Amino acid sequence: MSALMDMLMIFTNPQLLLLVGLGTFAGVYVGAIPGLSVTMAVSILISFTFSWDVLPAISLMIGIYMGGVYGGSRTAILLNIPGAPSAIATAMDGYPMAKRGEAGTAIGVTTVMSFFGGFIGIGVLALAAPFVSKFALTFQPRDYMLLAVLGILLVGSLSSGSLIKGTFAGALGIGIGAVGMDPLTFTERFTFDIPLLTQGISFIAVMIGMFGVSEALLQLHHIDMPAVRQKIDRIVPSFSTIKKHLPLSVQTSSIGVIIGALPGTGGDIAALMAYDHAKRVTKNPEREFGDGAIEGLVAPETANNAAVGGAFIPMMTLGIPGDAVTAIMIGALYIHGLNPGPMLMIDQPHMFWFIVGALITANFFILLFGLTGIKLFTKIVEIPRAFLIPLIMLLSIVGAYAVNNSITDVYWMLGFGVFGYFMRHYGYPLGPVILGVILSRLLDDNWRRAIISEREDLGRFFGGLFSSPLSTVLFVAVVLIFVSQTPLWTKGKALIFGRSNRSAS
Amino acid sequence: MEPDFRGDADHHDGTSDATPGGYADSRRPGELVFTILLTIGSGALLWNAYGIAGFEALSSPGAIPMATAAVMLISSIIILVKTARLKLVANETMSKDILPWLVIVMFVLLVAFGIALKPLGFIPTAAIFLILSMKLMARRSWPVTLLIALGSLVVIWLIFRIVFTVLLPAGIVPEAEFIQYFRDLFSAGGDA
Repeated sequence: MSALMDMLMIFTNPQLLLLVGLGTFAGVYVGAIPGLSVTMAVSILISFTFSWDVLPAISLMIGIYMGGVYGGSRTAILLNIPGAPSAIATAMDGYPMAKRGEAGTAIGVTTVMSFFGGFIGIGVLALAAPFVSKFALTFQPRDYMLLAVLGILLVGSLSSGSLIKGTFAGALGIGIGAVGMDPLTFTERFTFDIPLLTQGISFIAVMIGMFGVSEALLQLHHIDMPAVRQKIDRIVPSFSTIKKHLPLSVQTSSIGVIIGALPGTGGDIAALMAYDHAKRVTKNPEREFGDGAIEGLVAPETANNAAVGGAFIPMMTLGIPGDAVTAIMIGALYIHGLNPGPMLMIDQPHMFWFIVGALITANFFILLFGLTGIKLFTKIVEIPRAFLIPLIMLLSIVGAYAVNNSITDVYWMLGFGVFGYFMRHYGYPLGPVILGVILSRLLDDNWRRAIISEREDLGRFFGGLFSSPLSTVLFVAVVLIFVSQTPLWTKGKALIFGRSNRSAS
Repeated sequence: MEPDFRGDADHHDGTSDATPGGYADSRRPGELVFTILLTIGSGALLWNAYGIAGFEALSSPGAIPMATAAVMLISSIIILVKTARLKLVANETMSKDILPWLVIVMFVLLVAFGIALKPLGFIPTAAIFLILSMKLMARRSWPVTLLIALGSLVVIWLIFRIVFTVLLPAGIVPEAEFIQYFRDLFSAGGDA
């Protein structure tokens, strides 16, 4: 009952309601404007909402997050430029529809389906999180350590294809997180005897550098790209269209929640898998997939919005983020003195229910902003990059400065901006770096707790590892990810499949 | 679908979060140098991590740093070997595709922004930065550039100073006095 009250609190407080609304509105446009990304917006916003109370700050960021996931689909449909990674699959059928002059229908269907998927995700979050956090209380320190490693590895391997570069990026992140004084023994780590480094590197500077400045620098390659104008007709979809695709959307939403809930996998992968699923189950599409099939639009959009709720499950209950954006959200919660993890649900259940309430509110705002304001929208996405990029850079500098009022942070931010710029050029994923930075502390603490409780004995550590089913599963998963990238895997697969082929014939 | 589908020439799709650039089967200009630098850096980090506590204990403060630095070194060596074997991308050059002059100029401007921020104050520094960079990129007439740059600066300043209450270096502009003046004006208006 009190859970319900906490959930509804947001509706009784006009200021919070307004902030979620503003956040969602901003998120939709940030997600849609080529050159801006949700990750960028959330990381810059953390520093600006730093001095706020926790509730308004979280309301605003949740709005941006939800709005941004949805907003990415707009440009995917209109310009064939997915505004967020989770909208990559949306472009495959959305853009052909827009080219045929059905942009309005496409946007309308996307909006309603995002709303629908979002609700399923939030529903699962509300139902599952209390159980998961109860279960998480039984986790051993080694389980947390393994989960953290697994999360970083999954982000590294699934998002880019090159696990080895992802591994490097993840390790780099953990290293960056370790810089400064060790919190347990006050030993200096990675400080190179430079006094400046004893304070550690502000993770906000790393984030804004990697997702703000490096993105802005990369966008400089495209400042001359002209904005494309599209004609948009009626966008409120007919009820029969919605009803027809309801069964599919339930299936793809479920895919979205499950994929979103796995540590290390987020909306982008959920959307691609849902797209694949829709392709398999749709028997007679009105149009071929890739040629503007509505099913190809319904599937990824329900899935990526459902994945938001899913991604909040490990984030809130375990403190393990699923992707770069949730990693940044965790950073935001840390900054406001909250400690995402199983204890959050026990110590501050009202916080959890408040977040659920904020997500629901944001979802309603998506429906509202998604089906209105299309004229304004077409104007805003046409802002030339030449004016946008300097503003992003300005905001990045102000953001890096604002957290600690320190110019040093600005230089760190610029340094990581340039580093991130080269990493992007040479195919290194940036998500694992942020996950590493966020999880560094958790990994270090839990490793030391685990090994001390086993009296510094590696043999006993591995013994303990295989005595609990959960630890075993996690450990095997970590090992499998590595093996899957080595030639050993291909050989083994050839061996097994070769055999099964022979036995079949 | 290709695992590293990037969707468009814009690099915008996922570049921001996950899917980076680069090619799976060839090497971009400067990639080899970058990888060598990463390897050297990882080696230095490993050396430094060893210096924290050596092989004293598995639970020492140096254990995780050493492990991560070792992972970095090993993976960067593997990347280095792989990269060295690849062919250079044929039609890309360092100055055109990796580091065009605009990127360098903008970076210099950003560093200058950082240096000038404290002594000069936020408003003048940001104004100069916005005007210069917008003029440079958009190549519009001076009135248009000035209007957009200063207009957006006013909006940003209002949002951050008033809504987010972010404290920015005042520098040479008597910002606090300015805000106080308006407060007085409004409160005086309220009293009357």
